[in-house]
Amino acid sequence: MDPVKITIDGREIVTEKGKTVIQAAEDAGIDIPHYCYHPKLTIAGNCRMCLVEIEKMPKLQIACNTLATEGMAVKTQSPKVLEARRAVMEFLLINHPVDCPICDQAGECWLQDYYMEHDLAASRFEERKEHERKREIFGPYVVFDGERCIKCTRCVRFLQEVTRTDELTVVNRSDHATIALFPEKTLDNPLSVNVVDICPVGALTDRDFRFKVRVWYLKKTPSICPGCSTGCNISVETYQNRIARFKPRVNEAVNSHWLCDEGRYSFHGLTEGERLTSPMIRQEGGLVAVDWDTALRAVATGLAANAPAAAILSGRNTNEEAFLYSRLMKQFVSDGGLEVFYRERELTEVEKILKSPDRSPNFRGARHMGVGSEAGVEPLLKNIIDGKFRSAYVVGEDLASLSDLGDRLKSALGKLSFLVVQDTRMTPTAALAHVVLPSTNFAEKEGTYTNRRGRVQKLNPALVAPAGALQDWEIFARLLGESYDRPADIFAVLSRQLPAYAGLDYEKIGALGADLEAQHQ
Amino acid sequence: MAVKFSDESLKKFEAIVARYPQKNAAMLPVLYLAQQEFGYISPEVMEYVSQIMDVPVARVLGVVTFYTMFNTKPIGRHHIQVCRTLPCALAGAERITGAIKEKLKIGLGETTPDGRFTLSEVECLASCGTAPMMQVNDDYYENLTEKNVGELLDRLK
Amino acid sequence: MEKILLRNIDAPDSQTLEGYRACGGYRALEKVLREMTPEKLIDEVKASGLRGRGGAGFPTGMKWSFVPKDNPKPKYVVCNADESEPGTFKDRLLIEKDPHAIVEGTIIAAYAIRSHTSFIYIRGEMFYGAQVLQRALDEAAGAGYLGKNVLGSGYDIDLILHRGAGAYICGEETGLLSSLEGGKGWPKIKPPFPATHGLFGCPTVVNNVETLAALPWIITEGAARYAAIGTEKSKGTKLFCVSGHVKKPGVYEVDMGYPFKKFLEEDCGGMANGRKLKGVIPGGASMPVLRADELDGITMDYESFQAAGTLLGSGGVIVMDESTCMVRAAWNLSRFFAHESCGQCSPCREGCHWIEKILNRVEHGAGKPGDLEKILSVSGNIGGNTICPFGDAASWPPAAFIKKYRGEFDEHIAAGKCTIH
Repeated sequence: MDPVKITIDGREIVTEKGKTVIQAAEDAGIDIPHYCYHPKLTIAGNCRMCLVEIEKMPKLQIACNTLATEGMAVKTQSPKVLEARRAVMEFLLINHPVDCPICDQAGECWLQDYYMEHDLAASRFEERKEHERKREIFGPYVVFDGERCIKCTRCVRFLQEVTRTDELTVVNRSDHATIALFPEKTLDNPLSVNVVDICPVGALTDRDFRFKVRVWYLKKTPSICPGCSTGCNISVETYQNRIARFKPRVNEAVNSHWLCDEGRYSFHGLTEGERLTSPMIRQEGGLVAVDWDTALRAVATGLAANAPAAAILSGRNTNEEAFLYSRLMKQFVSDGGLEVFYRERELTEVEKILKSPDRSPNFRGARHMGVGSEAGVEPLLKNIIDGKFRSAYVVGEDLASLSDLGDRLKSALGKLSFLVVQDTRMTPTAALAHVVLPSTNFAEKEGTYTNRRGRVQKLNPALVAPAGALQDWEIFARLLGESYDRPADIFAVLSRQLPAYAGLDYEKIGALGADLEAQHQ
Repeated sequence: MAVKFSDESLKKFEAIVARYPQKNAAMLPVLYLAQQEFGYISPEVMEYVSQIMDVPVARVLGVVTFYTMFNTKPIGRHHIQVCRTLPCALAGAERITGAIKEKLKIGLGETTPDGRFTLSEVECLASCGTAPMMQVNDDYYENLTEKNVGELLDRLK
Repeated sequence: MEKILLRNIDAPDSQTLEGYRACGGYRALEKVLREMTPEKLIDEVKASGLRGRGGAGFPTGMKWSFVPKDNPKPKYVVCNADESEPGTFKDRLLIEKDPHAIVEGTIIAAYAIRSHTSFIYIRGEMFYGAQVLQRALDEAAGAGYLGKNVLGSGYDIDLILHRGAGAYICGEETGLLSSLEGGKGWPKIKPPFPATHGLFGCPTVVNNVETLAALPWIITEGAARYAAIGTEKSKGTKLFCVSGHVKKPGVYEVDMGYPFKKFLEEDCGGMANGRKLKGVIPGGASMPVLRADELDGITMDYESFQAAGTLLGSGGVIVMDESTCMVRAAWNLSRFFAHESCGQCSPCREGCHWIEKILNRVEHGAGKPGDLEKILSVSGNIGGNTICPFGDAASWPPAAFIKKYRGEFDEHIAAGKCTIH
């Protein structure tokens, strides 16, 4: 690194050669207002919001396209800069409908934010506003409001440079310039909703999130996307104990600024629907609610009496859960009887930018914890179908509903002498069980996932689990006859036992995760 | 009906593309060729140009709508474009436009029912010394008067 | 005054190779290829004092010298024939009457920066001009002035004629390059500059038609002769295009430093219809207007126009007599800029239309107190704050018209109608 010393608003900053003023400022915690600049996209320089004053230069310069050079003195708050910035905001608002009360972006709109920060007066624009296309459906998840668009072209550049799918363009010129989709095309690439995230205003909004809740009511919990083993960092945003949306969290080691559409909406399938709130035991006439002690005793005796057992853990269970489950089930299984659910599918080129070919975010970690092998779950499923087991303990996976083997698994599971299903809802698989244990989903858990590339990342509970359900780790601990206060205690134990995790703790993992050492991956 | 260049246009297309150091640069001449062959540049034509130029169709749309000389809708046989910018305005361009409107009984942006004329106002065409002036298709007509413009239109069949 | 640029205009068959050669055409190219290295050529053009005639007036030789010699990428010269500045029609005359001078000049420029493929970008509307130029290119190629091993010198040059498609902004050099790359004519952010990262990311020089057409004469007659014409900072001759209310509109070639009033009164025959002069835009529509009483002592060169608070620009002289409504004139130009803004930068995209709407109101009787201050403020917020100089070009005219003819604007607002017509 070649250090370069500059001053911003009188403050001395050391940055590196090749960085622009806006990057140097950002690194130093100084926000230079901007719209079109995005660190992951090419420089467009069109919004003119980041104009700054640079000593010895007669004209204001855009901070996004000005390289920091030794001795450069930058002013971001001079009267000239503030006036230019005020003017840009005034320009951007002249044809804007100022419909904040019905705009989903309200509360996270950069027009609003900068307007408030700069304490602006009423608009001087008294002419007729130009009207533009409203509520145009761009794709399954994205809707466009042309009147709110500021033509920063972030969306266009994202689709040209990141997905290379080029669905959008700027059409026309002058103040008729607007963003458009080619006639009869849709914006439906697997990363499409990222354009909503990077849209600084309310022009592109998320149809799934539309009109659900004002953003300022959202509780934001940093966590990890449960969609696949890439482990994209997300913010789980909830309202009244329901997930309203996922937003990507920036993590250059994993997902940069992005999140795929499938992962983004994976919470619907994983969290919605009626929850199980009591353990149940099969008696004549069906499943009946029992207390936890009764249910857990039934599991222990049932498994002991019906060896060999098949044990299948969900790929969405945490390392902490997998660690306990592995120790628990090794008492009851023989070789190849304990697996984490993991299946692959084909990905398109665009999907490969972000997605992994599975839907098991922690398959890697589970295997580290001793759940399963490289052979994978397929032989185990086949053996279940072939009637090789007398019992099974299935956690969090609805095997009876698998599109390919579901029917055969349903029939095989139905014939077992003893079946335990631990899940959040009464799935077709749970309906077959002798004992049903109500547990928690990814959004209710604390714990860690180890992604496909060996990075350990932290899940935080964003939702409160329903009364009557227990955390998966708690269920396993009770079956093991062990006691932990919280998942961190389990992690402390596993990090002592597993060399790959040695020295790690929740603090070190932090908000952005920690890579396992290369030799252990 | 699938849009496709005639064999003759295909040959021209290949020659145009071969002329440039990079294929993208041939975009405007290829769009001209398409407009010449198909009359105007419909979404189908844009899709075709996108295919033969190996560029995303949205980019073709962006280019077509940026420039004034590409028509995305059918226009009359004679596209009358009267310059309205200051030097022509000083020389009475508005009267010329008025005379044309009256004679053809159409407004700006409109086409005569027989499809013979479409009338537009355009910005400066670099003919200010011989103002007022207009362009009809490829040709400039300069030093217009309310009288001679009518005679001119009569000659355009 | 000696004619340099218009020397061949009236010659018979000036359009043709034969006609051009009869006037001494292509002797400069022969001289360059036989006697001059690119470095020497650049020095010669620097010595001539030739400055860019597209509007910005940047020294031509210096512009060429910014092209890195050791850059392994192809290098390009683009002749800017996208003449679109309202009031300007000089390039069109050269294109239609003396196309070989442009071709020869472009080849000379290409040789100076060691380009082997170069372009002439002509505005799309000039269909006839494009035909004339294409014929000239074909003739030049047939005579061995273009192609491989030009005149046995070992130098290869291919020259491609490219038509624009209707966009004023393509006259701005980076907008032109974006257009030539097959895209919208969106000007590019600088840095990087075209000299190092121009067409297709390669070193590129964009020169105006008039600039390039001056080169053959400069080479054959010598830089010293050219530099002897004009003033200290404005060398040689310049084409001025005169339009509006004069007796003899047209293209004139004058020595730099020629008295402006004399030019209007004598060369252009004075005002038409016996009316009085009210104002004149001296350098194309984007340059500030001058009142009749401001013309005394102004000479036709870069320094003098600048000292008078305007610029020489492209040399488009738009003359307005006392019957002209200056509000309407300002509105007309604001409408032009609103129509031609490329739409990239927020201030220009939104501001040009804002100004146009206010001026439209004022002209049509709905002006309000405070409107003029608002226009001045808005135009001030556009100028200097955009990617390309269009922002300045669009902001100067309305501000200048209001400042120079404030009374007339105030009267429009007070009367609630146009007070001239």
